[in-house]
Amino acid sequence: MFGQALADGILTGAILSLGAIGITLCLTILRFANFAHSELMTWGAYFAFTFTSLGLMGSPLGPLTFGWGFLLATLIAGALTACLALVVDRTVFRRLRNKNATRLTLIFASFGVALVLRHVVVLIFGPQVEYYSRELQMAVLLLPGVRVMPDQFFVLGLTVALVVLLQLFLTHTRLGLAMRATAESPMLAQVSGIEVTHVIAWTWVVAGLLAAAGGVFFGLTVQMRPEMGFNLLLAVFAASIIGGSGSLFGAVLGGLIVGLSENLATLVVPTSYKQAVPFLLLVVILYFRPQGLIAAKT
Amino acid sequence: MKFVFRAFTLTALLLLALPMAANAQQTCPIKLGGILPITGSLASIGKPISDAAQMAVDDINKAGGIKGCQVEFILRDDQTQTPVALDAAKFLIEVQRVPAIIGPVPSAAAIPMASTFAVQSKVVLSTCCATSPTLTTLAQEGKSGGYFFRTLPTTKTQAYSLARIAIEAGYRRTSVVWANNDNGRFTFSDFQKAFEKLGGKVAADASFNENQPSYRAEVQKALGGNPDSVLFIAFPQDGATVVREWLQLGGTQNMLVINGLRSEEFIKAVGPRFLQKMIGYDVAQVKGPSVDAFNAAWNTKFGRAPATPGLHSTYDSVMVVALAMQLAKEVNGTEIRDNMRKALTLNGEVVFPGSDGFKKASDLIKAGKAIRYVGATGPLQYDQYGDVSAPTMQWKIDADGKIVEGGTRTLDQVQELFKQVDG
Repeated sequence: MFGQALADGILTGAILSLGAIGITLCLTILRFANFAHSELMTWGAYFAFTFTSLGLMGSPLGPLTFGWGFLLATLIAGALTACLALVVDRTVFRRLRNKNATRLTLIFASFGVALVLRHVVVLIFGPQVEYYSRELQMAVLLLPGVRVMPDQFFVLGLTVALVVLLQLFLTHTRLGLAMRATAESPMLAQVSGIEVTHVIAWTWVVAGLLAAAGGVFFGLTVQMRPEMGFNLLLAVFAASIIGGSGSLFGAVLGGLIVGLSENLATLVVPTSYKQAVPFLLLVVILYFRPQGLIAAKT
Repeated sequence: MKFVFRAFTLTALLLLALPMAANAQQTCPIKLGGILPITGSLASIGKPISDAAQMAVDDINKAGGIKGCQVEFILRDDQTQTPVALDAAKFLIEVQRVPAIIGPVPSAAAIPMASTFAVQSKVVLSTCCATSPTLTTLAQEGKSGGYFFRTLPTTKTQAYSLARIAIEAGYRRTSVVWANNDNGRFTFSDFQKAFEKLGGKVAADASFNENQPSYRAEVQKALGGNPDSVLFIAFPQDGATVVREWLQLGGTQNMLVINGLRSEEFIKAVGPRFLQKMIGYDVAQVKGPSVDAFNAAWNTKFGRAPATPGLHSTYDSVMVVALAMQLAKEVNGTEIRDNMRKALTLNGEVVFPGSDGFKKASDLIKAGKAIRYVGATGPLQYDQYGDVSAPTMQWKIDADGKIVEGGTRTLDQVQELFKQVDG
């Protein structure tokens, strides 16, 4: 039981991490809590679904339920979600920024954006549940007492790869450095010759890409429905805050903590209380470390 | 000053009492309220339901009405929203002064209505569709004052029937995965009670909150009891998630499901080939002359079969109220409440739906004879809490994913099951 809960926690946590990274980027570089972020996850999943329902699933690779076509669809979905994030920024957030809107205004605007994005999904795809593949994948025995699905294992691997890539991007490219500089101080960054609008646009692109990946992975291992992003919102935010807003690895750690605490809690408390556990933990962690577990240096 | 005030109050009270006294004599027409979802998310079933209610009123009027008066059906659309439904109830009770209301459809609206307006204003609520056991609890605690009646059985029938189905299928250790809501909680506890009484044992149970991303932890918990079968109490969307995860993690295909999962969406999402051993429960449509009479009348009137849910039970919910009005000494909420069961007297002369049936019933009542209304839903009986039982059936999935009905249990068999469990 314990091993299984551990495995489930890590697998759930991985997907939450992808969402939490995007939230963290928004918090540090754009400097507001973007409640519409999880809707980008929904959109990413449905973008990929558009292609898979057109027959772009590919013949299954080994024990997986999908083939190369699906990976291509995921890539296109990432690009489209990044575009969507940019469009939203142009139409809503940039206008507000230019008018020197307060942070609270931006947060409320993000609520509005979230509602619109969610309902456009309902309008286009309908309220029903969708799957990339109706085929039911059986879990395999990984270790004694630990069953995982091959798809989940694949998702975990890809998530790790994405996080490592992102870390390399942030530390080894000029753009990455510029993003981190803007996060530290937009004023100083601008003075040093960094085009802040440029950095903001790229932040949306990275956040959109990761959100799409998270959404597609969730759709692959669970299911898709228009409220999927909304249902993930609280968990993703908790992950971002627990980890310490402003740190990439903090977001990943936060995701894992939320996933693990939910799943391990079921060994002790009734299952319907499991969602409360990460938030209890959030309160405790913030009490002792208000800046989060791994906070960016100020 | 004090004296003036008192005198004023007294006069005011007297003035208020005057029209009340005048009301004691029956005025025509007799008003009957209706609160039904004609628009909103339940519109597709609510519109035909309102047609069924109007059809019943038309039948009553054609048969000469109640106490020589025609019945005026004042129907309000609740837009499938509880606040609108409550507002409509206020209007019907305070402005129109109706003694009885047909509806509302969802339990969410029926619960506050039954525990406030109905009992405070002494107005009978007769609903076709609200099935929450909370309404039974309200009645048990005396909070609805006996003014609440429904013509569709509660989830208790479902829970006991599923326990019986499990035993008959040879299952002895069943795990239960249930949605953490009214329906789930009560179905689970009643199932457990019945299943253990009948010789089974709940191996493990796991409740889940709706709209969660994944239910692997819950499924693991249910798997932990080493069950030979599993019961899912869920609605289609979450049901699909949880059943898929159950199967993926190696759970048995010996599955039992509630009527909420009798849905194309659910079957398609899981895949028919995994559901070949699944047994579902639902309320059975009774066969019999009274049901045929209603079906034929509906066909003639609307040119189609009465296929959407709640039509038969709506017709009966109006008819029984009308018969109770006919039986009552005077038409008011309390009198109607006290006469609802008299319209269904077990050894009374049987009367059927339709205007002929109502005419016959009215003549029998005038002659002082006992009547037993056997309705569009077949023979029905309210228990002490205003609930009814119904015959049940079970359904399975064939290889193509089509639903196959079978295993009907008559009302007597259901009531025997109740006796067996409750003692």
